[in-house]
Amino acid sequence: MKWLKKAGYVLCLLVFLLLTLGPFVWAFILSITPEHAMLAKSTALLPEVVTWKNYLELFGGSRKGQLLFAGIANSLKAVGMTLLVGIPICLMSAYTLSRMEFKGRKFIRNLLLITMVIPVMATIIPLFRIFVARQLLDNVFWLSLVYVSSYLPMITWLMSNYFSTIPKELEEAAVIDGCGRLAVFMRIFLPISYPIILSAALIIFLNTWNQFQIPLILASSVGTKPVAIVVSEFMTKDSIQYGLTAAAGIITVIPPAITALIFRKFLISGMMRGSVKG
Amino acid sequence: MKKKILPYLLLTPMILIMGVLVFYPIAATFSYSLKYWKLTAPNDIHFIGFDNYINILKSESFWYSLQNTVFLLVLILFGTTILGVLLSLFLNIEVKFSGVLLAVAVLPWALPPYVNGILWRFIFYPGYGLMNKLLIGMGMVDQPVEWLNSRWTLLFVVSIVVIWRSIPFMALVCLAGRQSIPHELYEAAKIDGANVPNIFRRITFPLMLPFIGIGVTSTSVTAINVFDEIVALSGYSDLGKNILVESYLTTFSFLDFGKGSAVTYLVMFLAAILGIFYLRSLNKEVEY
Repeated sequence: MKWLKKAGYVLCLLVFLLLTLGPFVWAFILSITPEHAMLAKSTALLPEVVTWKNYLELFGGSRKGQLLFAGIANSLKAVGMTLLVGIPICLMSAYTLSRMEFKGRKFIRNLLLITMVIPVMATIIPLFRIFVARQLLDNVFWLSLVYVSSYLPMITWLMSNYFSTIPKELEEAAVIDGCGRLAVFMRIFLPISYPIILSAALIIFLNTWNQFQIPLILASSVGTKPVAIVVSEFMTKDSIQYGLTAAAGIITVIPPAITALIFRKFLISGMMRGSVKG
Repeated sequence: MKKKILPYLLLTPMILIMGVLVFYPIAATFSYSLKYWKLTAPNDIHFIGFDNYINILKSESFWYSLQNTVFLLVLILFGTTILGVLLSLFLNIEVKFSGVLLAVAVLPWALPPYVNGILWRFIFYPGYGLMNKLLIGMGMVDQPVEWLNSRWTLLFVVSIVVIWRSIPFMALVCLAGRQSIPHELYEAAKIDGANVPNIFRRITFPLMLPFIGIGVTSTSVTAINVFDEIVALSGYSDLGKNILVESYLTTFSFLDFGKGSAVTYLVMFLAAILGIFYLRSLNKEVEY
């Protein structure tokens, strides 16, 4: 019985690894396959000759390589800016909505929740017009504000639910000790909320990294366009350079993958309390 | 006095951002949708009521893309939910390398959807791509299958790709739900002599349900808004377009802002129906 269980687990593990990593592995194989072998009519999975030409080209300072790394830098800039603006605003809103009594609290909370389902296309045309009129196109700060507006409802909601699991007594004791609201927030809420903050930061990181449609319309210049747009242009402009595109795809996944690996613990622990209304 | 203003003061940045970047644009989009407004005729913008909507509802192109949207929605929703829940149960089993498995499970989410579409294009490449190599190698087909050149196989491939990248979020939310179930419940059930299927049906599943609800609604919104993968797999062609691609094409290729806005509002209507379920499941209390 125990043996059977173990075999079952190993089988599930193999299926999981195959389905999750398969596409990455295939892209990697393509990226080291010589161009002529790629389109050959053969069912062989591995190339007979291995070439590192694509990686050498991307890392060797070629024009495409420069574009790719500029795109990665642009994406990271947008991630940093979005975190810098988004996290404090979400924390503030979440604290207010979960801990303060005031008129219209429930209304604001529900209004915020409903915006979670609004598709980007519903706001993008007027946004595009505002950006044109105020000359805000190709500006990382304003682009990041648009990103913040699209994550704010969900992050605020996760955080405010996390806060409502923190016992009120903790706060009251601090107030009796003579702490003001700000001190209570900084000394009590922030230190015990680090799991949800990190978990929110990781969600913001991944979602900003993945942006394509919003920057396509609002920030498509070389100085601001994110890595997804750069890779997309590898496919169209020079028709087929599959190996190079595959190599670029592999490089693209490295920064968020490392981040996810480092912060993986918080992805679950933050959401655990944050997902259920306390 | 001071106390009454403070909450609103703290909410000001949020209200400003949402007001300027979400609520104003949504209202503006609605007013655009009631106008005849083509960028090719900038001097001839005028109010036409619901004509744009009527024209869209009469056009075959809209119904074609609606069919595609619904097809994608159903397939993606079922695929992501079932596989995501299964994955969360698998990840919940404690082993030495649980942490690493979790990080591996997140990987598909770490890939921009557009790049994701490109990677999968290599797999479903119409010539000797991976899938055709495997199928021919196993003797299941003689000729390479042209996956991306017919409507339903293309949509099927798009679904697989979107499911693949939506599973991580679903699995993480469900795993968070699974792990927040107190151990005592399982111990009590064991003492009462409950068997595994019963424990799943009576404890695990019902207590995970609100979390699954969050995942399902978030997946629905993703499924309605699929854009990157379709474009990456088939370009801006008509074959696999959903309503969102239709709205993008109407607006930015045909430069018809009025009609494009109206198409967008129809997408939003669809999303809003799902949003009501969302609100309900999010506001539900869970009791252990």
